Amino acid sequence: MNVAATPTLPRIEPAMLAQLLRGKASGVALVLPATAFLAVFFVWPVLQMIVLSVTQQRVEGVLIEGWTLDNYLRLFCNDLYFRVLLRTLRLAAASSVVAVLLAYPLAIAIARGGPGLARLVTITLVAPLLVNVVVRSYGWSAILNNAGALAYVLKATGLSASPPALLYTEWAVLIACVHVYLPFVVMPIATAIGRIDPSVEEAARVAGASRMMTFLRVTFPLSLPGLAVGASLAFSLTAAAYVMPQILGGNFSPLLGTLIEQQVLTLSDWPFGAAISTLLIIVVLAVNLVFIGLLSRRFSRWTGGAK
Amino acid sequence: MTDSVISLPIRILVLLLLLVIVAPLAVPMLMAFSDTPFLTFPPQGFTLRWFERVLFGPEAQTSFLFSLQLAFLATITALLLGVPAAAALVRYEFRGRSAIIGLMLSPVIVPLIVTGVALLQMFSSLGWGDTLTQLVIGHAVVCLPYVVRSVTASFVLVNRDLEDAAAVMGAPPHKVLTKIVWPQVRPGILAGAVFSFVVSFDDYPISMWLADGRHFPIPLYLHGLLERSIDPSIAAISTLVILFALLLVVVIEKVFGISIARLAT
Repeated sequence: MNVAATPTLPRIEPAMLAQLLRGKASGVALVLPATAFLAVFFVWPVLQMIVLSVTQQRVEGVLIEGWTLDNYLRLFCNDLYFRVLLRTLRLAAASSVVAVLLAYPLAIAIARGGPGLARLVTITLVAPLLVNVVVRSYGWSAILNNAGALAYVLKATGLSASPPALLYTEWAVLIACVHVYLPFVVMPIATAIGRIDPSVEEAARVAGASRMMTFLRVTFPLSLPGLAVGASLAFSLTAAAYVMPQILGGNFSPLLGTLIEQQVLTLSDWPFGAAISTLLIIVVLAVNLVFIGLLSRRFSRWTGGAK
Repeated sequence: MTDSVISLPIRILVLLLLLVIVAPLAVPMLMAFSDTPFLTFPPQGFTLRWFERVLFGPEAQTSFLFSLQLAFLATITALLLGVPAAAALVRYEFRGRSAIIGLMLSPVIVPLIVTGVALLQMFSSLGWGDTLTQLVIGHAVVCLPYVVRSVTASFVLVNRDLEDAAAVMGAPPHKVLTKIVWPQVRPGILAGAVFSFVVSFDDYPISMWLADGRHFPIPLYLHGLLERSIDPSIAAISTLVILFALLLVVVIEKVFGISIARLAT
């Protein structure tokens, strides 16, 4: 601790420290292990898989080498697989829309509700993220099955004598996906709303706009950047969901994730599995780029190109 | 202001939504006590035998301990790789810096199920590594972005003047690091570690490809149990998982002082 007793040090050490903390070489050295790790165990296997999807195909159990697009054609031309693709996109779109609709009241409560309500909403929303998706899907199956909690509540309140059969349908998968991915939609929207100066909303109210008008004309447009992030997250995550369709969708409504698992683990058709995986990456990247790009351009036009 | 910013109907709607969010966690917790050999709602009677069966069942214990071990190893790996990288990304200007930031965060963009199948393909074609190593590597890939994001944010906030002051006063570099930098970045590293642990502990889409019978994380074990049993023991183990998560929430928020909201942003 007695640093003052070494008078020669001050002249050398700051230079050494500067070298240690600001030198270019050491910066690269610090970042290298993680970069190499991701290059070897993330980028390389993913690229390898993309290459596999266009260089091999399996015909009647025999692997054939050589450039081919047949794996992709099979996905689009075979009615069975094409339906899975459409179902995945439909569910992802629906999950994204429903999650955004439900997210707004929650996001407004977090951003404008005062510390008590904001904290209650945040904790209730985010805490379930610490419970794995198997348990959360199981919770939905316990609610939605025809002797489950929903049926009981509907019967007990006299709302419906024969509850709707939801379990093992796309509806159950949709409900669970919205539930699991809702926090990822609410939080960016809440952040975007939190950034809006409350006096802007107050000005609209003072000028005579109703609450609804204020929301539609002021709050909502200004929250679009958050909506873009949240909606594309919900879409991407639902498109790649595996556990929820597996537990709640039954045997008749698999999504692309289930298809990858079947092709690879049950049929060991690696090239076809690789093609579906590649398609999933393309869908996710496209949705992220297009959606966020589109909305942010719209946003800057609305805000007068100031940003 | 005379009226609240949030109108009463919206408040009621929000509370209803919160109720729906909690429902799938609350219902299994109720059913776990049902004294029937099958699941029913509302639960009938009261028994603790399903908990007994789960707590003293060797399979569930093994899975739980394995998941803890896996999450611990994956988090250590992610920290060893991610903390220096995050420090360098904040502190240094070098070519390709923004590309590396993109790379570090990309494992959360590529669907996890795809990352998992790609890793399985690579590992099996190379015939390399035992199951535990493969799982730790796969989980570390997914955990790394959480560590990098959290630690980067804390390094950005470090007050450089304090470091310069300490150095000018004669503190050697390692002292500056331990006495000045460390206390400022510690919360960020801790948050990164906690989130990494949670992500690994709850992971399904990576483990489903790489696990085997002797290395079977708890989410996979639960899915298997769900498919083969109909008695309330699955509700009991779900209850334990939920209580464990609640305990984690309390520890994270109260003991570590980290807002769990950051897990979703």
